[in-house]
Amino acid sequence: MREAHPTDEWQMKSNVKDDVCYAQPRNLSDRLAIANDFTKRFHYQVPFGVDDMDNAANDAYAAWPERLYILDESGKIAYRGGNGPFQYHPEEVRQWLAARYGEVKHRETPPTPASNEKPVETPEKPHSSG
Amino acid sequence: MGAAKVKRLFTWTGIGLGTLLFAAAVGLSVLAGSPKDALYMVRYALPHMHRGILKVGDSAPDARLFALDGSDTFHIRERTTGKPLVLIFGSFT
Repeated sequence: MREAHPTDEWQMKSNVKDDVCYAQPRNLSDRLAIANDFTKRFHYQVPFGVDDMDNAANDAYAAWPERLYILDESGKIAYRGGNGPFQYHPEEVRQWLAARYGEVKHRETPPTPASNEKPVETPEKPHSSG
Repeated sequence: MGAAKVKRLFTWTGIGLGTLLFAAAVGLSVLAGSPKDALYMVRYALPHMHRGILKVGDSAPDARLFALDGSDTFHIRERTTGKPLVLIFGSFT
């Protein structure tokens, strides 16, 4: 989707600090390049889709600058988050998934190199994030 | 109504509107981080922010998305078969 804080529009100090400085993409290649930089930098494993330059997905879901939805198996909207950043609440998605599949407990601290313990997720019920 | 009353009415209306505008500018500046950010928010962000018309229970709209390599495409609704689909919309910046 459209960049929220590109260098040629509303760039923020945090973009410079975090070295996230891109001009607003004018074509799909530019948009794909930014998406690839993002997934590489954060080792992003979640399936990723890039909106076309006509912003069809964004327009359909009123998603800019960030927004969360859950679609159920029948293709209906099961959860509609608010517009980010002020109404962007991932915890609500987590709650929806927990109500459906059960809580997933995460370790609060990562294991140290000296530790032989492996990071473990302990679902109380089968878990799927869709 | 006399001319003096009309003048007073215009004066207080102007003061009221000015106060409202000032309060809105201060509020936006606090929200955005600075007066400059507030200006950019009005210019670049607000025109693109929409609540939309979708509601819980509505049929999810479909849209074509590109895979990261740019050569493959898929549709959002293709991914809703068998299990729920979480859509996380956002940009890098």
